Amino acid sequence: MNKELEHSFVTQLEENQNIVHKICRLYTNDSESHNDLFQEITIQLWRAYPKFRGDSKFSTWMYRVALNTAITLYRKSKRKIKTQDYEGISFKISSVPYDDTIEQQLKLMYSAVKKLNDIDKALVFLYLEDKSYREISETLGISEVNARVKMNRIKEKLRTILNP
Amino acid sequence: MDELELLKKKWQSGEHELPKLTYDDIYKMLLKKSSSIVKWIFFISIAEIIFWTVLALFVPESSRKFTDDIGLHNVLIGVNIVNYAVFAIFIVLFYRNYRRISITDTVRELMHNIIVTRKTVKYFVIYNIAASALLIIGINVYYYLNQDIVFQYMIADFGVTNISQEKFMNMFFFIQIAFGVGMILLIMLFYRVVYGILLKRLSNNYKELEKIEM
Repeated sequence: MNKELEHSFVTQLEENQNIVHKICRLYTNDSESHNDLFQEITIQLWRAYPKFRGDSKFSTWMYRVALNTAITLYRKSKRKIKTQDYEGISFKISSVPYDDTIEQQLKLMYSAVKKLNDIDKALVFLYLEDKSYREISETLGISEVNARVKMNRIKEKLRTILNP
Repeated sequence: MDELELLKKKWQSGEHELPKLTYDDIYKMLLKKSSSIVKWIFFISIAEIIFWTVLALFVPESSRKFTDDIGLHNVLIGVNIVNYAVFAIFIVLFYRNYRRISITDTVRELMHNIIVTRKTVKYFVIYNIAASALLIIGINVYYYLNQDIVFQYMIADFGVTNISQEKFMNMFFFIQIAFGVGMILLIMLFYRVVYGILLKRLSNNYKELEKIEM
């Protein structure tokens, strides 16, 4: 039974690992912390897994546990960013012709998002994942209206970071 | 917000580089231990409860004889009964709050439950400090009003000699007060350091969420 449970859990997490990696990227600044956080999220997901009933999608259920771990349970280590290469995220721009300005814009936007506080980041993350305001409000435990208002304010904040 | 929409599009398309873990990598992670703050809070809380319970039990025999001699025996038994009843209530509350913490709650509920659990233990410690302070003050007032008897039994129980009653009593009260104040400062320092480190980020985040709902 336990082996079966382990197998189905690991398989599902392996399939959906990108969600966790994206959260780790947003909330950590170097690859070591990234791995630490990924590890902690995996443990928390695994612990909560017996209670996962499958009435929601595995990925939907993951968002909540993973964000909870990143924002609430995980203790940031004091490690400072050693190299610059982790600061951003590299986008493989596949469109032809290759446009350098787009990549530049994306990088700037991403680093602006990284400058937000933990809660704002969570909102933006769910927004980028194309979650509805209802889902965002249910994950964070705030009302739908307030989630919408807050998201608009964050957009403004990002605008100011990008164009000071 | 064009850039954000652009980022969203790219974000969705998966056209960015992320690490890829294998089945075995993930499987190995299941065997590792958690280092979450809930675990730390749990251990520290248990340590605090044990510390204060042991401290309450630990009264030197000579001191007990002394308090019996000067007529505080029944008062202290009463104090102990109340004390243990309060301990029991705190332990039940702590356990109930701890059980309520669930990673599958909403972010806000989870933070709220952790903070409540932590607060229970904080109140437990505040209760202990306040109760100890009250007891020390009460006993010292009693001593002050009965200086002759205290000095007499100090000689009998602890072998105090070669000192005048007035000088001894001054020193006695000074030590009691200095010790009491010192203990409280030490505990407050401990609190600032341990919880400053553990809970600062969490309470800041909780405040942010509360602000959204205001």
